[in-house]
Amino acid sequence: MATTSVELPRARYDYGGDEFIFVELDEAMSLEANFKAMAITSVLREENIEGVIDICPSNASYLIRIDPDRVHPAELVAHLESLEQTVQPLAEDKTLHTRLVDVPVLYNDPWTHETLMRFRDRHQDPEASDLEYAARINGFGTVSQLIDALSGAPFLVTMIGFVPGLPFCYQMVPRDRQIEVPKYVRPRTDTPERAFGYGGAFAVVYPVRGAGGYQLFGLAPAPVFDLTQSLADFRDSIVFPRPGDILRYRSIDQTEFDAVRAEVEKGTFHYRIREYEFSPAHFLADPDGVNVELLEVLYR
Amino acid sequence: MATIKAAIPGVFYRRPAPTEDPYVQAGDTIVPGQTIALIEVMKNFNEVKAEQAGTVAGFLVEDGDEVSIGEDIVELKN
Amino acid sequence: MSELLVHRGGLHTTVQDIGRDGHYSLGIPPSGAMDQYSYRVANMLVGNPDGAAALEVTYVGPRIEFTDDRYVAVTGAEAAVTVNSEPVERWSTLTVRAGDVLDFAMLTAGARPYIAVSGGIGVDSYLGSRSTYTLTGLGGFQGRALKNDDRLPLGDDSVAPPTVGSTVPEKLRPTFPEVATLRTMIGLCSYRITDESMREFTEVPWKVTKDADRIGYRLRGGSLRFVDRKVPHGAGSDPANVVDLGYPIGSIQVPGGDEPIVLLNDAVTAGGYATVGTVVSVDRDTIAQTKSGDQVRFEPVDLDAALAARRDRRERLERTRESLRR
Repeated sequence: MATTSVELPRARYDYGGDEFIFVELDEAMSLEANFKAMAITSVLREENIEGVIDICPSNASYLIRIDPDRVHPAELVAHLESLEQTVQPLAEDKTLHTRLVDVPVLYNDPWTHETLMRFRDRHQDPEASDLEYAARINGFGTVSQLIDALSGAPFLVTMIGFVPGLPFCYQMVPRDRQIEVPKYVRPRTDTPERAFGYGGAFAVVYPVRGAGGYQLFGLAPAPVFDLTQSLADFRDSIVFPRPGDILRYRSIDQTEFDAVRAEVEKGTFHYRIREYEFSPAHFLADPDGVNVELLEVLYR
Repeated sequence: MATIKAAIPGVFYRRPAPTEDPYVQAGDTIVPGQTIALIEVMKNFNEVKAEQAGTVAGFLVEDGDEVSIGEDIVELKN
Repeated sequence: MSELLVHRGGLHTTVQDIGRDGHYSLGIPPSGAMDQYSYRVANMLVGNPDGAAALEVTYVGPRIEFTDDRYVAVTGAEAAVTVNSEPVERWSTLTVRAGDVLDFAMLTAGARPYIAVSGGIGVDSYLGSRSTYTLTGLGGFQGRALKNDDRLPLGDDSVAPPTVGSTVPEKLRPTFPEVATLRTMIGLCSYRITDESMREFTEVPWKVTKDADRIGYRLRGGSLRFVDRKVPHGAGSDPANVVDLGYPIGSIQVPGGDEPIVLLNDAVTAGGYATVGTVVSVDRDTIAQTKSGDQVRFEPVDLDAALAARRDRRERLERTRESLRR
């Protein structure tokens, strides 16, 4: 398979007022840009620099929140510029320590279907469902072919945010196989909790019920956000996903959906998780081969 | 003449919903605690309530107008 | 009993402190008092340590009954304040006893009064802060704004007693000008906006709309034009879209070009709209005291000016502390 490699431009450094530093690695999304963001921010976390409050890797950029009384923003920028040069995530020997996670999704479920039907007047194609529309504009003959593509290859959590626990996920396939859809013409005022949505080149799981503009493709039976921290996976944090996680949005049927829901309600559910040393260089050289290996490790 | 003032800033509405009748009309008598209008701010519709009894002489702002804190919105005759 | 009995919650009264740091990368904003200056001075007036939890009031004040002897202070926005229906000084150390009732009249200037009580509001700390984040209902008092008949716990009142009647001099209190100036560092994705429109952005007054809360303030006034471009992969086709990125607190995004949103303490932490600059941290105090219908203006400044503004505020806080010792 032909893979298109992306050369990153020189990063752009800017201040977000006196308390934030914004670093744009590229204006366009790419796995290369995200690997760079993950690698630099993970070095920064280890460095534990006085005055650095929050380190937020983003899709093709990253954001640092600082206390400028303890670290001078200009000095930190100089340090970040040096990291841009020294941190080379695509070097042969570089790996990212990550988690492989199985995230079951009931695609084409009745609940998000009911929701999306209520908001057809805000959609590009009121005559079709969100899945039918997405399949058509991405060149899939049928909805089930689109679902196979979504379920087939894993996604990288490239950023967490907007609201607590919302994972932005970019599929780990070359750019020419990326699925892309516009956001709704006007955002919906309602989205079910745990809806699996898609906007631009990003998949998300909505942590809580609320407004939203992403196309609705399905519903996850398990939460990504749990304020009560009753499930084992939430013992350390109310938010499950972490930047750099590799999630497989596995297509499940109604029977499995009901079984997972029952486990979640009993408090016995836990995600299938495998710790993994991920090599961006190996992945970019052979995405399909590495994806086969990732799934093999995950379900071993 | 007494007035009812806006306690919060926002957008002033005389009706509970666009298709419904106004809460009160000029000439209506009102009692303390009665809802006479809504002010929308911070994504909430807040009821404006009469603090004293009286008769509505007229409205000093139009439906959909922006109002500021302390602005007279209704004139009362006792 | 050491509680506050909430007779009336007010429009949107929440427990806030200096904020919850360190969770921005998970999408959890810091929350905390929006006008940090007024909040910190309120704590000084009642002898609390910096960072004690206080009440932030929005537009309509609460009515609160005390159940033991406490020091109390009200700072921030201007409104007549009473204890047992008798007018009391604002920006001043007051004493109250069991059964006393603090109440507010209509606001006359500003948007957010602060109420500090000696011992602080004694709700449990959550992820290192007592601040309320209402969007997901975490922190503060049950994760929400106060309602009528709530009973708020108070902290242990073993503070160094302040001097009753100590009052903050006028010149050390915030002012509420007709058009509030927000010092702003232009940048981030301002390359998406034409130069002419960026000039307009800093020249026109912007009006605070009804959609102005702790998450952010939506403004109206100008209309900004976007630079034509080839859409970068993953950005989305709308001219205001960028590949989703982190939003600084205080950052200004411009969906549609005609409705800038300034993100504040309960900010959404990330998203896909072009940001054009960031209000300097100190001037979040200023915007916090503007209300729907008020006007603001963005004044471009550089990093040195932003850092100088921080030093100025710190010195003002120190001068205030000194003035209260005398």
